[in-house]
Amino acid sequence: MFQPEAIIEAFHMVLSWNVLYWLVVGVVIGVGVGAMPGLTAATGVALMLPLTFTMSTASALGLLIGLYKGAVYGGSISAISFATPGTPEAAATIYDGHKLMRMGQGRKAALMALYASITGDTLSDLITIGLAPALALVALKFGPSERFWLVVLACTLLGTLSGAHPAKGMLSAALGIFIGTVGTDPVGMVSRMTFGLWWLQEGINLIPMMIGVFAIGRMLEGVIELLRERGVARKVKESISTALMKSGPGLTFKEYLRTWKEMLIGLFVGSFAGMLPGLGATVGAFLSYSVAKQVFPKKQIGSGVLEGVAAAESGNNATVGPTLIPLLAFGIPGSSTAALIGGALMLQGATPSPRMFELFPAVVYSLFIILLAGNFVNLGVGRVFAGFYARLGQLPRQILIPLIFMMAIIGSYSFEGNPYDVVVMLAFGLVGYGMRILRIPDAPLVITFLITPMMEANLRRALLINRGDWVQALFHSPLSIGLFISSIILTSLAIRFEVSKRLSIVAPKVEQENS
Amino acid sequence: MEPPGLLAVKQQGYRAGDRGLKGANAMGKWLKCNQGAGVILTSLFTALLIYIELKPWAHRKLRDGFSLGFFPAVAVVLSIIFSLILIFDGRRKEVPSALETLTFKSGLSAVLAVVVSWAYFALMREIGFLIVTPFFLLLAMAALGAQSWRNTLLIASFMTVIVYGIFRVMGIELPLGILSGVLPF
Repeated sequence: MFQPEAIIEAFHMVLSWNVLYWLVVGVVIGVGVGAMPGLTAATGVALMLPLTFTMSTASALGLLIGLYKGAVYGGSISAISFATPGTPEAAATIYDGHKLMRMGQGRKAALMALYASITGDTLSDLITIGLAPALALVALKFGPSERFWLVVLACTLLGTLSGAHPAKGMLSAALGIFIGTVGTDPVGMVSRMTFGLWWLQEGINLIPMMIGVFAIGRMLEGVIELLRERGVARKVKESISTALMKSGPGLTFKEYLRTWKEMLIGLFVGSFAGMLPGLGATVGAFLSYSVAKQVFPKKQIGSGVLEGVAAAESGNNATVGPTLIPLLAFGIPGSSTAALIGGALMLQGATPSPRMFELFPAVVYSLFIILLAGNFVNLGVGRVFAGFYARLGQLPRQILIPLIFMMAIIGSYSFEGNPYDVVVMLAFGLVGYGMRILRIPDAPLVITFLITPMMEANLRRALLINRGDWVQALFHSPLSIGLFISSIILTSLAIRFEVSKRLSIVAPKVEQENS
Repeated sequence: MEPPGLLAVKQQGYRAGDRGLKGANAMGKWLKCNQGAGVILTSLFTALLIYIELKPWAHRKLRDGFSLGFFPAVAVVLSIIFSLILIFDGRRKEVPSALETLTFKSGLSAVLAVVVSWAYFALMREIGFLIVTPFFLLLAMAALGAQSWRNTLLIASFMTVIVYGIFRVMGIELPLGILSGVLPF
């Protein structure tokens, strides 16, 4: 698995001005996306995906991974400045970060958020680099039956852990499977489920669908809110002086080191949350914060201390690298953003799978290098431009939302110059909006859509090999039986102990404790 | 003064009207709860399943013995099962917070936003990105409550040019429409 030639090739790929340029652009855009409430990393990556068509693989990865890292960190800027998380995963940073801001220590809090993010991110990237190849080696030994049950396990985990209601998560996953069957069957390549529409014969295009669900769905929610607010007397918004982010005492090295235990908690909890499909950065942040608060009660996390910021920010950024582990090892994205990055790799001809390490080793190693390099760029951009991004975070949504619509439309159209892609994008925008108001999580839909062909192909291959014997095909090895039992047990436990509901109320519980 | 009988009838009418109003409110609230959503989703997915089963292609046997409609049908059946769970489980009466304030007008606004977006796209293809986009942005920003027309127009025009420039640099052509023979780039 260790291939020195591939590593050298990867360094050549990454260490070019073009790739570094796009990495910087990605981080700069990403921090901005993160700092603006209403936009998420997934939205930003979805909108930038069309731009990667004409780029090299390394440049595309630089742009998207840089954007992802920047966005996850960038949410803390608004959270600290004006108590509004730029992204959902930054909500836990408000409790201590904004209190520190009000105590005149905004700059200290902002620096703590930056350094904790970079620390958690970098160390979790090392975990990713160590774990992904090892898991891929294991996955290479999987046959069709094992791969089928692995995908089933991923689908059930996604469904039961996403959102606050397991049935809604599973419904989203089932809907994603159905949408994944539209077009052609993956084995016989025969057309099906096209509703008589010729342009559906090649299936639903990934890019317009993702732009619709992740960008338009969210923007439609914003449109409705703004239209509703138009009829209401305008609230006078408290204008927090963003100058506070620049003035005030800075962070000393001793203060940074003092929070090492909280950052470590963030690292492990965040990495675990990132690896498991369905959890994500928001859960990583809140769980890390809660755990740190429980483990160190004397530090009074929640009263405006650096340790609270460190735990939350380390926790959310530590999910970034590990969320790519299931994608690289098994070809199964662990989150919506991982699904988008997986989509970008597919567009570049490097379909994520366990064989990726054999077939595209230079691409994998360049991804690892970009994961690490992105942290340094994030550090530089955050260090220099935090104040600017704090102002950007106050950009009115009346300006932002139409711009997003415009980008979404031209991005979907420019993908293949096919006007029906815009139809798909807008249709999924409505679907995404409907799911949001019904509180049906969207990540399972997109991820299962991506992995459905894999699931179907492996099941049919297993049956073909075993001449139509279902029992032999599905349960012929201890591993496949083990994966099957794991799906049942984990799903039952998740439902029995209402894991998704408990995870979703961690945030209000934390808020209650801190008020 | 009205005869007592007429007054009584009117009061009954008001009560009936109240009941009617309360009935309509209760129905609206029920539709917004998980159970209501579950009923609607179950109906939709059941209709989809019937559609699949009625299609001849769904029963076409492939070389490995599967029928073409097998996997889509399995996915739809799973969707029906999870929608049914919403109807009967312990959280069936919960109303998602976003739905509490949702009105028919809001839903219509969402559809209208999509229709306007499609109209923008159709016009952009015919007339050109550089001409249509500033108008679309200006109108959309104003509709959402942007205050200053001058600033909004400046932002709309500026962003149009910037986005066009970025896509050109990336090698991605955006429709020029009626300007295609006019502009040198």
